[in-house]
Amino acid sequence: MVGIFIIGILMLVGAVSVVVLRQPVHSALALIGVTIGLAMLYFILQAEFLAVAQVIVYAGAIMVLFLFVVTLLTAGKEEMEAEDTLPGQRWAGIITGLVVGLGLAVVIATHPPAKLSTALSGSFGGLHDLGHQLWGPYFVMLAGVALMLLTGVIGVLVLNRPETVNYKSRLDLPSGVSLVDAEQEGKK
Amino acid sequence: MISVQYVVALAALLFMVGAVGVLVRKNPLIMFMSAEMMWNAAALAFIAFARNYHDMSGQVMAFLIIGTAAAEVGIGLALIVAVYHRRHRLDIDEISRLKG
Repeated sequence: MVGIFIIGILMLVGAVSVVVLRQPVHSALALIGVTIGLAMLYFILQAEFLAVAQVIVYAGAIMVLFLFVVTLLTAGKEEMEAEDTLPGQRWAGIITGLVVGLGLAVVIATHPPAKLSTALSGSFGGLHDLGHQLWGPYFVMLAGVALMLLTGVIGVLVLNRPETVNYKSRLDLPSGVSLVDAEQEGKK
Repeated sequence: MISVQYVVALAALLFMVGAVGVLVRKNPLIMFMSAEMMWNAAALAFIAFARNYHDMSGQVMAFLIIGTAAAEVGIGLALIVAVYHRRHRLDIDEISRLKG
């Protein structure tokens, strides 16, 4: 019980640092901390396979992808955060988030769900039970996620394909003027 | 016996921090990480209730959430990189110019 509170406090500290820290690399490292805290909570809640999957997928794959992109896009730069275009957007966001989140947390903490008196089966949370559920009643959803992953792969390939369309000739720009330059001119 | 309500309250707080991050920050990478935290908070609530009601369905949902998040990260980071290649700035308001 105490363990849950300690892990929870560590996770909240990590989560707040993800939002507050200025450098995206530091945010990514804090997010790894949150992810590992989550995996520990999954172990406590008897979701052994999901705890392992969380570490492999999040800390292993997703965060490495994040770090790659962060280093690719922000290497050697220290940019200030841009000015708000909507006045008061920041405070409106903070207040809305705090009201909704604290409200939800207080409601669930003061209204605990009913506890079952039966004992937990020994295999609960193992790979065997999960596989039976996934391959049985939830097979349609499993196939949907598989299709979604396939679509994601194709989408990434399409988004990062080399440029084949010649924008310059389409816009009748003089040669040597790039689209970005033309746009900057237009703004002036 | 685990008091599941505190774990769900933690999930709500994690969701709150993620939502505030999406609303407040303007760096698309950090907004995206905050969105990841919101996915994780939902998965945590599912697993906590699965433990409370001794029902594996919640863990199945958390598994599907992890799979969906993996696909989403691929697409989202590809979009961020594509926008950065055109604009050379990491600012979410760059995308608002897409409306023409």
